[in-house]
Amino acid sequence: MKLLHRDLVRNGPGKAKLLPEEDDDLWHAYNLIVPGDTVEAYTVRKVLREMASGGRDSERVRLKLAIVVESVDYDKEGSVLRVRGKNITENDYVKIGQFHTMEFELRRQFTLTKDVWDWLALDIIQQACDPAASADLAVILMQEGLAHLFLIGRSVTVTRARIETSIPRKHGPAIAGYESALKKFFEHVLTAFQKHIKFEVIQCVVIASPGFTKDQFRDYMYLEAARRDIREIIENKPRIILAHAPSGYKHSLKEVLESPSVMTLIKDTKAAQEVQALKDFFNMLTNDSDRACYGPKHVEVANDRLAIQTLLITDNLFRNSDIATRQNYVRLVESVKKFGGTVHIFSSMHASGEQLAQLTGIAAILRFPLPDLEDIEM
Amino acid sequence: MPRKVVSGPDYDDEYGDDYDEYDDDYDDYGETGHGDTQLPMKEEKESLKKSSGAVPVLWRCSMCMFDNHESMVYCEMCGVFRESFIKSSKDGSIKVNRIPSDSGKPLMPKSDSTKVPLKTRTADFGGDTEIKNAGISHEKVSSTQSASVGSSSGTGKKVKHIALPEDVPVERTTQLISDHFQLKEEQSSRAGSSAENEDAAQKLSSDIHKLGLEKNEVDVAKTCLPEEYKPEKWMFADEESGVPSQLNLAIVGHVDSGKSTLSGRLLHLLGKISKKDMHKNEKEAKEKGKASFAYAWAMDESSEERERGVTMTVAVAYLETKKYRVVLLDSPGHKDFVPNMISGATQADAAILVVDACSGSFEAGMDGEGGKSVGQTKEHAQLIRSFGVEQLIVAVNKMDAVGYSKERFEFIKVQLGSFLRSCNFKDSSVIWIPLSAVENQNLINIPSDGHLTSWYQGFCLLEAIDSLQLPSRDVSKPLILPICDVIKSQSTGQLAAFGKLETGAIRNGSKVLVSPCGEVATVKTIERDSNSCDIARAGDNVAVSLLGIEGSKLVPGGVLCNPGFPVLVSNFLELRVLVLDVTIPILVGYQVEFHIHHVKEAARVTKIVALLDKAGKPSKTAPRFLKSKQNAVVQVTLESPVCVQEFSKCRALGRAFLRSSGSTIAVGVVMRVLGQDKS
Repeated sequence: MKLLHRDLVRNGPGKAKLLPEEDDDLWHAYNLIVPGDTVEAYTVRKVLREMASGGRDSERVRLKLAIVVESVDYDKEGSVLRVRGKNITENDYVKIGQFHTMEFELRRQFTLTKDVWDWLALDIIQQACDPAASADLAVILMQEGLAHLFLIGRSVTVTRARIETSIPRKHGPAIAGYESALKKFFEHVLTAFQKHIKFEVIQCVVIASPGFTKDQFRDYMYLEAARRDIREIIENKPRIILAHAPSGYKHSLKEVLESPSVMTLIKDTKAAQEVQALKDFFNMLTNDSDRACYGPKHVEVANDRLAIQTLLITDNLFRNSDIATRQNYVRLVESVKKFGGTVHIFSSMHASGEQLAQLTGIAAILRFPLPDLEDIEM
Repeated sequence: MPRKVVSGPDYDDEYGDDYDEYDDDYDDYGETGHGDTQLPMKEEKESLKKSSGAVPVLWRCSMCMFDNHESMVYCEMCGVFRESFIKSSKDGSIKVNRIPSDSGKPLMPKSDSTKVPLKTRTADFGGDTEIKNAGISHEKVSSTQSASVGSSSGTGKKVKHIALPEDVPVERTTQLISDHFQLKEEQSSRAGSSAENEDAAQKLSSDIHKLGLEKNEVDVAKTCLPEEYKPEKWMFADEESGVPSQLNLAIVGHVDSGKSTLSGRLLHLLGKISKKDMHKNEKEAKEKGKASFAYAWAMDESSEERERGVTMTVAVAYLETKKYRVVLLDSPGHKDFVPNMISGATQADAAILVVDACSGSFEAGMDGEGGKSVGQTKEHAQLIRSFGVEQLIVAVNKMDAVGYSKERFEFIKVQLGSFLRSCNFKDSSVIWIPLSAVENQNLINIPSDGHLTSWYQGFCLLEAIDSLQLPSRDVSKPLILPICDVIKSQSTGQLAAFGKLETGAIRNGSKVLVSPCGEVATVKTIERDSNSCDIARAGDNVAVSLLGIEGSKLVPGGVLCNPGFPVLVSNFLELRVLVLDVTIPILVGYQVEFHIHHVKEAARVTKIVALLDKAGKPSKTAPRFLKSKQNAVVQVTLESPVCVQEFSKCRALGRAFLRSSGSTIAVGVVMRVLGQDKS
């Protein structure tokens, strides 16, 4: 994301002009824009005109509109951000107060005006504009009969493909069936691979599975690449590595990222830090369960006693449409930081963020044990 | 769960109690001889036992495990009716204590016209209230009403909405529990929607004998079971036919302990593999440089397995001993293939645990790599036990490498023995056999090696297999055949469902219902070990090819059942689990893999309902998380629905395993099927 222009007061009103460049930036924009803000951008409006003959003609008109945001939608599969709101610009085509939905695309700048630029919003802008390299890892997580293809960005993990086939188990004479079904399965995975993985953007591909499926797939892939002369795969062989996974299901992605070989690739990125923080939390919960807590109530209580050392929070808590709750969380985060704690904001689009979201979305590692949390209702 | 009045050997570990309780039902079945009737009779039996003593007579509510006084007809905690009360109420002869005087008449017997009693009820409570009460008592009685009533239509399809038939059974209860709930209900609008009730009355009379009072999310099928299911004559095995009964034997153990080699050897010695095949295997093995794997290749037939020298999926082979027809299920021992092993071991009646006697290998099997995790010897033993397998043969293999030393054998016996005891294997049902598969010692005849005979005079492996006892087969229950595999049968070239019949029997021409798709098909042929047969009974491992259904509808993990008694299909379940050794505690939202008979699904722990103490009573509701060795009741939501049945009704479909990060974190049974998850 590029920050083109800034005119704001910390914790006060102002506006900023931004240009999203990658999918990740749309995700950051999604976190930035809350109902009540004003967004201005070029957009397309379908206008109905009455012709002289009485017939209606619809025309698509490009114009610059500013709208007051009512709702924001992020479609993760299509990587599209839609913002819906009431129009406040004077123009010929759209009345003031009429509803309009804007779609944000890459490489189209927009101007965001907010009433209060709090710490969180500024932090998001800063992160988004950080030119550090993003993770951009592709992971194929598979087991016999099931495969997922993930693209891990800096803050977003997108499932690009999911392949499921039923492979008969070997059963005496029916061995041939098993082998041919397996080959067909690999064929599908290879097609998905070619379709979604672009080596210009992706730094590295990880193939992970329990057992030997990964080796089988990799051998199959090389064989086919040589046979069909697929340049991309042949040239990028050193960028394809193998890793062990406990299963082919989505939640095993976390463990793939924890394996040392993959960790070295992503260690500078947010994804790795998130994984590590979550692992620490679980360790603490096992070893000394009074020093770890989760759930908003428990965390609030812990914060009141200044007990929080590390706070883990998912970003979808901030996207709460209720202003008061959102401010509550922002206040919580700021207070933790003020007293010398660390805050990890998990992107809910990552595997670890999803897992944290399952646990109510907020968790904390404490400085000292608080055994009476047990008695408080969650 | 019935109270543990019957005491087995008393083990102090928590393990002991849990595994025992899973088996309690089984013992009770055998003892009371009530093969057909389930919980109602059991509770009565328990209460009878209790009433003989001076202790206040108590009955345990099957929903919330609360102990109520005998005089209570419904549970104080959750409001669910007592089993025996419901049962006797169906027969129409009931004496109810707390019914208000106006509805003092007994519940109408099934065949009576229901108009009159209903009208009076209408007058008393008002139609709306009744229905409303019905609706609300619904919720109170059972937290989520499963769409089980929908299944009464026999199609096995799940109907979510609360249709009128659903009101019907509850209407019956309302007159009994109305006193209970009227206290809670403020509104007493006497709006007479008697017209509505007339219709209800009609339905009532027609449906009443089909539906029963619900408790435990009972599906309608339960009330049809088992009183109404009449097994046919041909289903029962004729004793005189001389056909030996079938025994399913699983071979499990740590990786490289010699399972496949042992199986291959047995097959060869008993003549199941022709000499030609054996020679071929030997030759090929030698070419590949894996000469020692020659026997294992009899079982590992795919090129991948041969190349790597490991078994990846369960291989099935058929043998005959003097007493039984044995189905050998050779399982993979590798850590990554435990899910496959689970699917194979579901079918087992008894197991052979193969242990490598070589120094270092045995220890690796027990403790895993680096002593961190559990080795497969232990994990498999735990899993096997939680399948309900009680009889175990421990084959200490590779004795030749340790020179048939007695000390090593005793050492292994002591170490492993204590672990098995903690898993609640009874000492009397574990047989220890030293042998060497490679040198053919102690497999089917008395060992020839002098070292071994000097101190070992016990059974050889074959004799030990013969000494195993068959568990009882439930032929008299409706058909349940979990589909292990869908294969192209050799003879007909058609798709066939392969699996072991858990209960019931089928023959050519029977109609079966295929779950989860819910379509009915006819049995065309039944094949056992590539030989056709006419009838297959509970316990038989067969391949069934069906007419009238597309091949794609048959999936591994599906179930073939009786069209009148469909199995439940659901993705929201309540389980009673025992947490094994885990590194990460189980929290709400924890993602696991859920294994049940042949199905694996990704699942999430949605709620930890309660922690249970040793006796099985809830000690703490809604704990924050679960640690190792704790017993708890949890609710899980699966990603897609699976065929499942409550453990009390069908054991094979009720056992579940939770795995995560490559190891088994919990074993458990399905207590309630809560229907489709709303989320």
